[in-house]
Amino acid sequence: MWQRETFKKIKQIPREEHVLPGTALCAGCGGLEALRLAAKVLGDHVVYVNAAGCFTMLAAYPYTSFKGSWLYTTMGSAPAGAQGVRDALDVLIAKGRLPKSEDVKVVVLGGDGSTYDMALSSTSGALHRKLDFYYICYDNEAYGNTGMQLSPATPYAARTATSPCSVQHPAATTQEKKDIFEIWRAHRPPYIATVAPRYPLDLEEKFVRAAAFTGPKMFLALSACPTGWVYDPGETPEVAKLAVETGLWPLKEAINGVVTHTYIPKRKPVEAYLKLQGRFRHLFEPTVQTDAIRHIQERVDAYWQPVTKEQA
Amino acid sequence: MYAVRFHGRGGQGAKTASRILGTAAFLSGYVAQDSPIYGAERRGAPVAAFTRFGREPIRERGVIAYPDLVVVADASLLEDPAARVSDGITDQTILFVNSPLHAEQIRTQSKLPGRIMTLGVTEIALQHFGQREAISALLGAVAARLAGLQQEPLRQAIARELGDLGVAPPIIERNQTVALMCYESVQVMARESAAEPATRATIFHTPVYESPCRGTARISASGNSVLRETGGWRTFRPVLVADKCNGCWLCFVYCPDGVIAMNQDDRPVVDYAHCKGCQICVHECPTHALVAEREQEGGVAWTAK
Repeated sequence: MWQRETFKKIKQIPREEHVLPGTALCAGCGGLEALRLAAKVLGDHVVYVNAAGCFTMLAAYPYTSFKGSWLYTTMGSAPAGAQGVRDALDVLIAKGRLPKSEDVKVVVLGGDGSTYDMALSSTSGALHRKLDFYYICYDNEAYGNTGMQLSPATPYAARTATSPCSVQHPAATTQEKKDIFEIWRAHRPPYIATVAPRYPLDLEEKFVRAAAFTGPKMFLALSACPTGWVYDPGETPEVAKLAVETGLWPLKEAINGVVTHTYIPKRKPVEAYLKLQGRFRHLFEPTVQTDAIRHIQERVDAYWQPVTKEQA
Repeated sequence: MYAVRFHGRGGQGAKTASRILGTAAFLSGYVAQDSPIYGAERRGAPVAAFTRFGREPIRERGVIAYPDLVVVADASLLEDPAARVSDGITDQTILFVNSPLHAEQIRTQSKLPGRIMTLGVTEIALQHFGQREAISALLGAVAARLAGLQQEPLRQAIARELGDLGVAPPIIERNQTVALMCYESVQVMARESAAEPATRATIFHTPVYESPCRGTARISASGNSVLRETGGWRTFRPVLVADKCNGCWLCFVYCPDGVIAMNQDDRPVVDYAHCKGCQICVHECPTHALVAEREQEGGVAWTAK
């Protein structure tokens, strides 16, 4: 049974803020919620390497939300940028021009469009080279900053700008969400975790655990998106909670490839999660698409079957 | 040609309003053109959309630098320099502001020229739909009236544009009814000079080429985003009912922007200069100690410095 050791109570979450307000990110952004909590463990001695995406707005010239550094890259090259920063730091330390005590963490911020799609090859390269860095993917399951176009992270039956529901495709998106966790795990980095900001202690604990490892530390953060998923911004935590409680977003970690589920949900029916969001409304109106809903439920059940068997 | 510029915040429906106006003009037999500005499509960020219509083919493209009518969906934009509401406004321009305030008050506050007109569209939307963002049809209706279009093409345009967005027929019908109420609430404003104004070209500043070896844009300040206030994004503000608060910290933990701090007594203190009004704290408060209150003083309690 997985246990939290550092973060046991909500009041252990540090008060200090490391991602300052004044950003142009949407009100109720689930990705920002995750980053803000992560930064409470990461601190200020960080170089963020940001792939183009919604998080570009965190440091849109001439304002920055970070007290530390931020480097902007194209969507496909943030892990390569991180390699450059890491190498430069190592060279400076080796030459004695930077004291070891002033070393900083290198953290990639990438959306799902970047992570699952454009930056997949440069991420694979960084994992293969065992680059010592953090990677935080804020996954809102579409290309959000440009107006919610389909990405390989978009789940089956979600409506996006480029996968609308139509006569040919009444369930909208026909593809399944790419399993980036398993793609990462095939590279055997020391640490991978999925997090959801609605489970803040689980999130904080995982960032503390990751700090013990040298090499790639990969995070996949559920980023409920009021703008793209079409729900009221105030419901961001509720949506994230239902994603976890229905079993659609498993909370887990993989240490050197060994997977542990950090929370076993009782698994509510997936309708509870789907019904809350406008991007799935076509599954319920004007007629209920029973087949599509059943398909989603079956995929969740198939995922959890071996996990629960193992638990028992 | 009649040129209308819409200003709104992402999610308020300025783009859809411009489409409704464009379609209504087209259905009235005009040549019409409408387009939003391309940018980051984010809730709360200032956005603009443009509609042109006329009897002759329209050769002009792009942003409208000299509008005949400006429709402002959110009064807080008047004071946001990034929104550039005042661009090209002369004393001839008709300026419509979504605000329950009197036009004279807006004139004093904003110091803008133009013939100002107001209507509390958000209040009407809240009253009839119970939602803060459903104002595209209502803004489109106001713009159609001010621009002198008829009711029937407006009705059809609302049905078409909201239908394209996947809005259910009964909700479209309600939008039509309330939109026509807004249409009736404002008066047609004729252009003062009967003569077509001379077309003035938009002035573009050609950027000067800088060699990449001079470096890229650098921000040397640390954490200076706090200088940019986002309090004007709110329609509702979270307000603490102190005696109900049990000091659980959940509002502080879930706030995406980190604008809630816990004081010595474990009570939340909201930074209203930056709170975007997402209502997560109101939704998540287990004891209902945080309640949503409508922003007052003419729809905007917060003003930019």
